[in-house]
Amino acid sequence: MGPLRLKHPLINAAGTLDLFALAEATDPCVLREPSVAAYVPKTVTLAPRVGNPPPRILETPEGMINAIGLPSEGLEVFVAAELGRLLSLPRPLILSIAGFSLAEYVALASGLRQALDQAMGQEWTTRVGLELNISCPNVHSGCVSIGSDPKETEEVVGAVREFWPGLLVAKLTPNVADIAAIGRAAERAGADAVAAVNTFKGLVLDRVSLRPYLGNISGGLSGPAIKPLALRAVYELYEKVSVPIVGMGGVATVQDILEFMACGARVVAVGSAGLRDQSLAGTLALGLGSWLDERGSSLAELVGLAHASA
Amino acid sequence: MLSRLVGSEALGGMVRLTLESPGWPGAKPGQFALVQAVSSRHFLGRALSIADERGDEVDFLVAPIGDGTRELCALAEGSEVWVLGPLGNGFDLESIGDGSGRVVLVGGGTGIAPFPLLLSHLSAPLEVLVLLGFRDAEQASGAEPLRRTVTRLQKEGSRCTLEVIIEEGSSKAAGKVTDLVERQLHPGDRLAVCGPEAMAREVWRLCLKTGNVEAWFSLEANMACGVGSCHGCVVAIADGSYARVCHEGPVFAGKEVFGG
Repeated sequence: MGPLRLKHPLINAAGTLDLFALAEATDPCVLREPSVAAYVPKTVTLAPRVGNPPPRILETPEGMINAIGLPSEGLEVFVAAELGRLLSLPRPLILSIAGFSLAEYVALASGLRQALDQAMGQEWTTRVGLELNISCPNVHSGCVSIGSDPKETEEVVGAVREFWPGLLVAKLTPNVADIAAIGRAAERAGADAVAAVNTFKGLVLDRVSLRPYLGNISGGLSGPAIKPLALRAVYELYEKVSVPIVGMGGVATVQDILEFMACGARVVAVGSAGLRDQSLAGTLALGLGSWLDERGSSLAELVGLAHASA
Repeated sequence: MLSRLVGSEALGGMVRLTLESPGWPGAKPGQFALVQAVSSRHFLGRALSIADERGDEVDFLVAPIGDGTRELCALAEGSEVWVLGPLGNGFDLESIGDGSGRVVLVGGGTGIAPFPLLLSHLSAPLEVLVLLGFRDAEQASGAEPLRRTVTRLQKEGSRCTLEVIIEEGSSKAAGKVTDLVERQLHPGDRLAVCGPEAMAREVWRLCLKTGNVEAWFSLEANMACGVGSCHGCVVAIADGSYARVCHEGPVFAGKEVFGG
């Protein structure tokens, strides 16, 4: 994807996999052999944020709802304490950033670029990409309001493009009338890829009190429940944009990957289903490989297959 | 790890599940595991405190309070179950059992879950007092395995005593576990506490009032990943930040979580 070479098409959705925490809790091996082809760490914001008040998650039928609220140590600490060990991982990185204004996105992108230039010279563009999270439903300004408007999306992607020479991915919200219009805006502004979808805004109530359960009131729905909604978004994007699509939303099985790719995704991200099995991306990549081998088929044949006339 | 349910015993409205988990590495008291039946119709596992262990056999004490826990409690013996664990930081045994004071375990309801394993790590010559509170007499029968452990330890010469109090009922003895704590607590005690948040807060207030008491609290939260990835299970702690129950916890020092 862009200048990044992925050994298979499975990555993680931002905020669903912390390789270092996982290594500490389970097995240090996950750092030597991560299951994902590229690693997307949790979204970084410019200033430190504690995130939303609990409760933050609840299981729902065939999925879950979350309102984590982008807790982040902030750019400065991220660069000083996190970036180094991320670069030591044997996988390309796609760093995820969220801002609350255009200026914040630019500050984040240029700050990261500066840090990478210092750490790795000009070599890093084959190792590190950037994902613009313009789609988190659980914060109250900037971010998703930017990603809900084609004009603002185009301005932010265009502004970051000037500072960011590596892979640039715009992660889109499905909570809009026309996701393809937002995708086209990101493409026009120079995005190398679009990622779809972030979570669907939803609400759950406490079963007894019948009041909103989550500390943030509303949250983002994910898991198998949203797969058909996400497939529709990827399908519509594929018809209107020509840059690669990172498809996600309820991916849990090899069949799900086939369907996202058939709708047009070139790369597929595992999100919530990876929370209960943090090596799922690797398992699914093997399954996808077997499926292709058995049919003598290729990824190139699979991507977009749903759009071919019968 | 793929495990098998080898025992399911109803205990005072709760269920003690025994799973055979090949290669179980052994847990520290207070650690937990994410548990999910292979056949589960639920999306996520449930975070359960490790109650006890014997080699590859692991016990969990589960209260059927929601759909997920009811599903676990209704599993037939022989069912296949995924177990991810042991996870999290358990009780700080070195500090709790450093011999400088009496050890007091305080449990409310299902909060007694981690105590059998904890008790088995608190060996003589420590003096151990176990204070348990239950809603009613039926729930109190869930303490039976713990009572047996206490009896065994007494026979082995440990200074270990158990007191149980029940909330409902007309007897003069009815009351809350915090009543027992108030009566029994004295300076120098080291507490391990597990139970509802209101109980935990009251216990910590009593600790501060008594003075020179240290206490560690095992907290609970809905979890998704159990390994620190998702930040879904946080609790607000004393310094105004949020801590992940799965990663920084589930056991926290009283001062860290409640302040004072």
